[in-house]
Amino acid sequence: MEKGARPNWDNPMQFLLACISYAVGLGNVWRFPYLCQMHGGGGFLIPYLLMLFLEGMPLFYLELAIGQRMRLGSIGAWTAISPYLGGVGLAGVVTSLYLCLYYNIINAWSFWYLFHSFQSALPWADCPINSNRTGPVEECEMATPTQYFFYRETLDISSSIEENGDIHTGQALCLLLAWVITYLFIIRGIKSTGKVVYFTATFPYVVLFIYLIRGITLHGAINGVKYMFTPKMEQLANPTTWINAATQIFFSLGLGFGSLIAFASYNQYNNNIEFQAIIVSLINSGTSIFASFVTFAIYGFKATINYENCLERTRLLLLNAFNLAEDSVTIDSVFEWIEKLNTTYPQQFDIIANKLENCDLESELNTAVEGTGLAFIVYSEAIKYMPLPQLWSVLYFIMLLLLGLGSMLGNITAIITPLQDFKVASRMSNELFSGLVCLFCLLLGLGFTTSSGNYWFTMFNDYGATLSLLVVVLIEVITVSYIYGIKRFEKDIEDMLGHRPNWYWKIMWAGTSPLLLIVLLISYIINYIQGGAPTYQAWNIELGRSVVMEYPIFGQVFIGLLLVSSISCIPITALYVYCKKRNDGNHHKRQYSISTVCV
Amino acid sequence: RLSIKTALGENAYVWNDNEMFLFRATLAFAMTKQFDGQVSDIIVCNQTARVSFWFVVTYPHNKTLVDKQVVERAVRKSRNRINSAFLLSDTTLEFIGIPPTLATPVNPSTPTWLIVFGVVMGAVCAGIIVVLVVSLVQRKRKKNETNEDTQVKTVENGAARDGVYYMSFSEDESSVTQM
Repeated sequence: MEKGARPNWDNPMQFLLACISYAVGLGNVWRFPYLCQMHGGGGFLIPYLLMLFLEGMPLFYLELAIGQRMRLGSIGAWTAISPYLGGVGLAGVVTSLYLCLYYNIINAWSFWYLFHSFQSALPWADCPINSNRTGPVEECEMATPTQYFFYRETLDISSSIEENGDIHTGQALCLLLAWVITYLFIIRGIKSTGKVVYFTATFPYVVLFIYLIRGITLHGAINGVKYMFTPKMEQLANPTTWINAATQIFFSLGLGFGSLIAFASYNQYNNNIEFQAIIVSLINSGTSIFASFVTFAIYGFKATINYENCLERTRLLLLNAFNLAEDSVTIDSVFEWIEKLNTTYPQQFDIIANKLENCDLESELNTAVEGTGLAFIVYSEAIKYMPLPQLWSVLYFIMLLLLGLGSMLGNITAIITPLQDFKVASRMSNELFSGLVCLFCLLLGLGFTTSSGNYWFTMFNDYGATLSLLVVVLIEVITVSYIYGIKRFEKDIEDMLGHRPNWYWKIMWAGTSPLLLIVLLISYIINYIQGGAPTYQAWNIELGRSVVMEYPIFGQVFIGLLLVSSISCIPITALYVYCKKRNDGNHHKRQYSISTVCV
Repeated sequence: RLSIKTALGENAYVWNDNEMFLFRATLAFAMTKQFDGQVSDIIVCNQTARVSFWFVVTYPHNKTLVDKQVVERAVRKSRNRINSAFLLSDTTLEFIGIPPTLATPVNPSTPTWLIVFGVVMGAVCAGIIVVLVVSLVQRKRKKNETNEDTQVKTVENGAARDGVYYMSFSEDESSVTQM
């Protein structure tokens, strides 16, 4: 029995904001702009929006409906739908656990950068000086100061996943802070979460808007925006474009973890989830597009500054080599002068020819980055060139924090809610149980703060929650459409909302979405097989840049474990329930036969 | 090598013979500090429009050249004075071969970030303690209330509208089901 009435959201707005806060996360900021750039700029919006209607909205609505109808966490809800499929919920919980372990590290990094922004000179603006005070540290000279700050001072990264090191105390402290804040946000369950999401869902938009204004007024921003939005329609012929669009929609909405089921389980019975599902999906995609606009303005700015710095260095080189007067070569005339000097003094020119850099704006813009590289390296590089960089830095990292913490709320709720439905946890108070879960994740997460921690983080990020989610959601949608039955599901929704879902939803649930998911699953598996041994980017101290390395054997085994452990919950639970039922059945048969004999 | 326009922009002065004289005088000053009183000769050649030139230093009384290392040391010692005589800095007044001595980084005793971290961490921990204490107090208060209240259970239709946690209801439940 549960401990009393199930808590509810104070009003439907809280639920809506919680879903927005969960769905709008770091992926909207650092993955979508990259995809947009890779797959033809403005043209990418076509497959993206199409996938939103074909798979995003229907699956989102499906999960919300299940949660609101069953009023239980993911494990309980799926057990109620079909006793053999409780494993689907369990797989969701396991995947959420993996996500919680590594996701808060990103928040720890955001905290680290945020706290380091309160200095007169941003620490990633210049290279630190080496011990004899003759010049910058060697590693920093070969890389850039922002890369050095991220890889050396923030992570203190080792050269490969095999070399372990000590825990970085600064990182560990920031991780502790991240978990303490997460605990504060979930301490009273959705009573506290509901109040927090007013802020975590809305403030990032404020910051994005401020950045938009700042971004478009930056010098050279227009280059980036033009570059991004010029559609390259030929990319649409590439199947990877469509697959990436579908994958992005799928992961961006956070399906399969059980967070949506958990959130919806605290709803009033007749809350209008159809409308809310549409709104949240649209807002999520809209935010992605908005954020990529801002990102590309910033990209354009950074590329232009780098290009102009390159020209300035070339100009100095020409001035010094040919001893010309200072104002004879201006930045605009650098290329003309190169031509002139090449023809008039060919031997002298040859001497400096190998020092001449190729300054090209296009190639600066072409450096497409995604993920932590974009958020922490590229953005911080752009910020250091802005006037009053401390303010922009603080704003930016607060936004990253809110996006990350907002998504963490959903993931932690996805673990706590189903477990609290069980008797074991419901005997403890909410606060104690949440505290234990947070403590557990914190202790395991400390492993990611070691020197090789970033490599483990990448492993979890790439493999922990990708394939398993596809499998989970595929089974979800097939179960609801065919095992539970679309007709029964329709009736449930009519019971809750007062009207049946129209033909669009039914076609998507029964047909299009499962088909799309099967296609995605197959393409993922093909990629895994074709890609050979899995590789990762390791930071090489001597070269001052990342190199591609293969995972060692234990790494590959661990990847396999990650994938298998969550997916295998489904068949194992089904088997367990089947065996239990058979044993109970035998037990009952024996009892029945005895009683008839007695009678 | 001097980069006057880069350093001073609009306030740049024109490099002429007067400035060159100042340069030779400043360098003589640097050498005097090194040799303690004996003024040496500074000879300049190969001036270009870039404003760059070669210079050599000779010993005061005989015309032999001073060693490069000695000159470098002297320049290093008085670098600051030489720079400020021309309103330039280490990067705009370059002596090729003498790398600029970079300023020692300022290291405060407590890194700044720890201070901010401490503030935020303290605030969050205070928040948690407040919430825990408040909920503990509420729970104790409700326990005392249910012991005095009569067993009237008011249950609204469907789920509770305002999400109030009906502790009295759950207390009754546990007392009934415990067998």
